[in-house]
Amino acid sequence: MRDIFLDLSIRSVRLNFLRSILASIGIVIGVVAISSMGMLGANMQLSVKQQLSSDVNTIMITSDVVRTTSTAGTPVTSEGIDKSTLNDIKNAAGQNDVIPVHRTSTQFTIGSTDGRGGIYGLDPNDVTKFLTIDQGDNIRGANDALVGANIATNFNMNVGSRIKIGQNNVSVTRPTVRVSGILAARGFASDGINTDNAIIVPDTWYTDQYGNKDIYDQVNVIMTNIDEINQTEAAIDEKVNRKTNVVRITDASSRLSSISSTLGTITSFILAIGSISLVVAAVSIFNVMMMSVNERVQEIGILLSIGTEKGEIRRMFLYEAFILGVIGAVVGGFASLVIGYSVVSAMIGNTAYFFMPESIMYVPYGMIIGIVVCIASGLYPAWKASNMDPIDALRSE
Amino acid sequence: MSARPLIQLADVSKVYHLESGDFTALNHVSLDIDENEFVAIMGPSGSGKSTMMNQLGILDVPTSGHLFIDGKDVAAMSNLERTHMRRDVIGYIFQKFYLIPLLSAYENVEYPLILKYKKRDESGRAWDMLRAVGFDRAMSAHRPNQLSGGQQQRVAIARALVNDPKILLCDEPTGNLDRKTGFAIMDILINLHKEGRTVILVTHDPKIAEFAHRTIELEDGRIVSS
Repeated sequence: MRDIFLDLSIRSVRLNFLRSILASIGIVIGVVAISSMGMLGANMQLSVKQQLSSDVNTIMITSDVVRTTSTAGTPVTSEGIDKSTLNDIKNAAGQNDVIPVHRTSTQFTIGSTDGRGGIYGLDPNDVTKFLTIDQGDNIRGANDALVGANIATNFNMNVGSRIKIGQNNVSVTRPTVRVSGILAARGFASDGINTDNAIIVPDTWYTDQYGNKDIYDQVNVIMTNIDEINQTEAAIDEKVNRKTNVVRITDASSRLSSISSTLGTITSFILAIGSISLVVAAVSIFNVMMMSVNERVQEIGILLSIGTEKGEIRRMFLYEAFILGVIGAVVGGFASLVIGYSVVSAMIGNTAYFFMPESIMYVPYGMIIGIVVCIASGLYPAWKASNMDPIDALRSE
Repeated sequence: MSARPLIQLADVSKVYHLESGDFTALNHVSLDIDENEFVAIMGPSGSGKSTMMNQLGILDVPTSGHLFIDGKDVAAMSNLERTHMRRDVIGYIFQKFYLIPLLSAYENVEYPLILKYKKRDESGRAWDMLRAVGFDRAMSAHRPNQLSGGQQQRVAIARALVNDPKILLCDEPTGNLDRKTGFAIMDILINLHKEGRTVILVTHDPKIAEFAHRTIELEDGRIVSS
């Protein structure tokens, strides 16, 4: 059987149904405000993070520009990242994709027109991990190549076009590659692979032409989880730069973190606006609880005079506040889902992140805050009721 | 007297501090009430009857003097101890019945048991008490506002008795009832006294006071006849 004080509270709420419901509506509004504002902020952050992390989820590792050799004692530029360093990076990167890159710049000829641009040597399997092929297919043959969007436009190229690589010199026979695909425009890429004015060739073709087998100009690590980027960088640093700085490790995450923190501030601000409605709700709950106490003075007198402990009287009124809170929180929780979804879809236009834990957690948060606010508003009325003088209370009509 | 009386007032005074000055409601009252006495307290309005009942009911403490109930000094007890004493040692019957409006007749009677044992009654004692005052199960489900005055007072008596108190304090128990119903309630109280309880009754009505074995008359806060 239930606690009789809970029964008394339920009956009191039922007796003053309209008044109790009106007070609960305040809590409903408060919960909805907090939850949907919170979800709006969270969805904003999540979608911006997603847009940015296509650029910033990459760790760029280049060989340290200058290092001192022990023999000469004079600074020389390093040759690149060697095989053993690459293996160290792979070990430190764990599950994340490690993409070694050869790179240089070259002259080339398409048809009869000469041009100049970057040339990247990549393992064909790595291409689709971070590049988008707009037309045609990925590199399949040893002499296949991909071209960037700008080159393709400027030189009027199609899939199947041929490019002669190297300086235009009649005395030398230049190697030729066949365009198997054209890449989508990439713009300025913060992972250091600017393909728009470049040609992508297979790594084997590249090393055949330029040498430097197993010496890479750059190694990129693409993070599956952006939040682990700092740990992974630290792991690589510890593994590779053990004694001297062998490589330089950079990423664009500082840009993301500054945007994230701005969005976090905006979220806190709109949450604060939402909480104002909860303060209003708290006042109305307090008011209803005081009315309940004042209307039941004689009843409280009866309860006290026949031996009810003060704590039991307090419990009875706190239950009442709790019931109002639960009604408000449950209705508010459901309403938040509906209203929150509408607000997110109207203001962000993308509800893909709505049901992710970071966003949906604002519903239980809002509900708990609503109930806590109710109980807090009931504290003083409950205290007042329990500290009445039973004689005075009995005498009141 | 060898054994200590159940209730002992030793030079008890109660002074209320009002804006118009101090008002002495009880003025150096000394009184012993033994176990299984049936005492009526009479007196005109303002004579201190209610103050006396509040003292005996441990709802208040004396300004000076000592009040012992069941051997314990009321003034020396903590608030919680006084609350437990009201629950366990004293049964109250009020003129206006004072049932809890949100509880059914049965729950009103069960309520003191819940206070004492911190759980709903499974012993059937609440039912026994209601049956003893002439209530069946159907009537016990009614809320106080669905019952007549006489019925409400029966429920109140059942509630007062359910924790088996030594002392039954009745404040004008027939005051809000017609004469016939009033005498029926008095019959119940007389039987309770015969069963061994100490009954203390405040009344205006000399006819009701005749049922008691001893009548104490108060005037201006003093006992004028005992």
